Amino acid sequence: MIIRENTRDSVSTITLAGTLDALSAPELQSFSENSALSPNVVLDLSDVDFLDSSGLRVIRGMALKKRESGGDVILACMNDDVRKVFNNTQLVRLFHIYDDLDAAVTYAETNKKSI
Amino acid sequence: MKTLIVIREKDCQWARAFFPDMHPFLLTICNKPYVEFLVDFSLLSGIRQIRLLSDGPLGEVEEYCENGSRWGAEISYASIQSGDDMQTVLAKNKRFCAEERCMIINGMVFINYGKQADYNAFIAAFPSGEILSCSCGSLMLTGNPSGTRNISPPYPFTLSCFDSPGLYYRLSSDILNDAVSPYVLPGYNNEPLCHIGRNVVIGKSAEIIKPVILGDNVQILGGAVVGPGAIIGSNVIIDRNSSVIHSVVIDHTYIGEQLEVEKKIVSGNMLIEPESGVSLAIEDPHLLTGIRKSGASLSFIQYAVQALAALFILVLLLIPFLFLFPVLKLRGKWMQHNEDCYADISGKILNLSVTAIERGGLFGSIAIFLSLDRFFQLFRVLAGQIAIIGSTPLRVSPENREHLKRMPGYRPGVFSYAEAEAWPVDHDDKAIIERFYTAHSALFQDILMTVKAFVNRIHEKSTP
Repeated sequence: MIIRENTRDSVSTITLAGTLDALSAPELQSFSENSALSPNVVLDLSDVDFLDSSGLRVIRGMALKKRESGGDVILACMNDDVRKVFNNTQLVRLFHIYDDLDAAVTYAETNKKSI
Repeated sequence: MKTLIVIREKDCQWARAFFPDMHPFLLTICNKPYVEFLVDFSLLSGIRQIRLLSDGPLGEVEEYCENGSRWGAEISYASIQSGDDMQTVLAKNKRFCAEERCMIINGMVFINYGKQADYNAFIAAFPSGEILSCSCGSLMLTGNPSGTRNISPPYPFTLSCFDSPGLYYRLSSDILNDAVSPYVLPGYNNEPLCHIGRNVVIGKSAEIIKPVILGDNVQILGGAVVGPGAIIGSNVIIDRNSSVIHSVVIDHTYIGEQLEVEKKIVSGNMLIEPESGVSLAIEDPHLLTGIRKSGASLSFIQYAVQALAALFILVLLLIPFLFLFPVLKLRGKWMQHNEDCYADISGKILNLSVTAIERGGLFGSIAIFLSLDRFFQLFRVLAGQIAIIGSTPLRVSPENREHLKRMPGYRPGVFSYAEAEAWPVDHDDKAIIERFYTAHSALFQDILMTVKAFVNRIHEKSTP
């Protein structure tokens, strides 16, 4: 799993590439715990080709933690396979999902102002 | 151009209430799913890229429509939140809507179009904004029109509300009674007012009176009278000497002998009076009942493997059980009661023995360590009533009945998938894991998950 972080318009964007499973999920978890991220974080999932329940756990955990401190995790550009996993588990109800990274960043930026 | 079809759960709440076994997008109007009418309208408007949006689950719709290739369309799916306004919906689908004009069908509305018409030029030239609206939703366009043309009402199609069983019934009747139907309807049709699906069996003395629509796999037994004004869905059985007149029978329904159904909507065991919306659930399955598969059933190989695994665990636990059960029972630390649980998503009830072993003491700890509290449930696996690993059995209650509707692959197990994973901390976590694994269940994975659940329980109980 490749994890890249950059900041766009003062919003942390985490780009994930590869497989997010039991082996790689702890990497993402420790990354999110040890990085200084903005209150609203955009997860770019365009290059995630597989996601399992461990991956869901980390993403859900990140979102719950961010929400405790008034922020959120916004998901962007998920492919069909990843969307189906979110759909099957009904996690789609929990997240704002954008099909475009710029739109997700804009939402995160404007939402930050309203916090 | 592209089409966004935005239907929120609140828009289709009525359909969920009256037709709980059918996704509102797939609710059939004259045996044609509602969403197909919207797809047809898009195609007549020259639009092939369609996205379905909802704040509810879309799995069933996706399974039915797939990628839309059967209609020559490209269908994609996305989720929105219930509170999203149209601006947010468009932002969430920016990539889809970018650079091209977008037609938005918002809300559970019915578009009265004509199959012979071509709306391509009309839609392309119509200025950005709302085309039509009603109290249930609207039809609008975004982006700049091609060319300039003065367009004034009346428009070549109209919009009507679709938000009650009364409107559903009237709409179905209107389409059925139209000798030259403006819509493409399923089934064989070589004369007006009559459509017959595939694999229809009609008894010799049965009477079919036009206008009528029969779905696929319909059986009409001797002496039955179907029509006039009858819409019979697919996989329906109408038993001897029954009559269905001016009524709509939804898919997967059995109508018992000598039953007279007139001006009603029948869905499973529900009899609905369209205008008043009053519904009556018939408890006698000989009169009226749903014909459905019981959901996530096991294949023979799955059953055989699960039964073998259960047998293996039973043999393994037999000696500890024979020793510990009487000891703990005598000490009052073995508490056992029976509980009614849901056996599958259809709501079938299963009486399950539930054991609680009091922690504390060497014997109690060993019994919990070995999962002896699940010993009796293993016999249910041999009987094929539950799985060795599956969902946590849901107790019968109105709240859990609702919960069951959101668990499409629900199959109770001796051990649950949530027990196999170490991370669940609350009820929501458990539900996520169970939905994930029921959707991605596989034979060898199930065996692995059973071992994990067994080991996790040992670990769980040995930790103070």
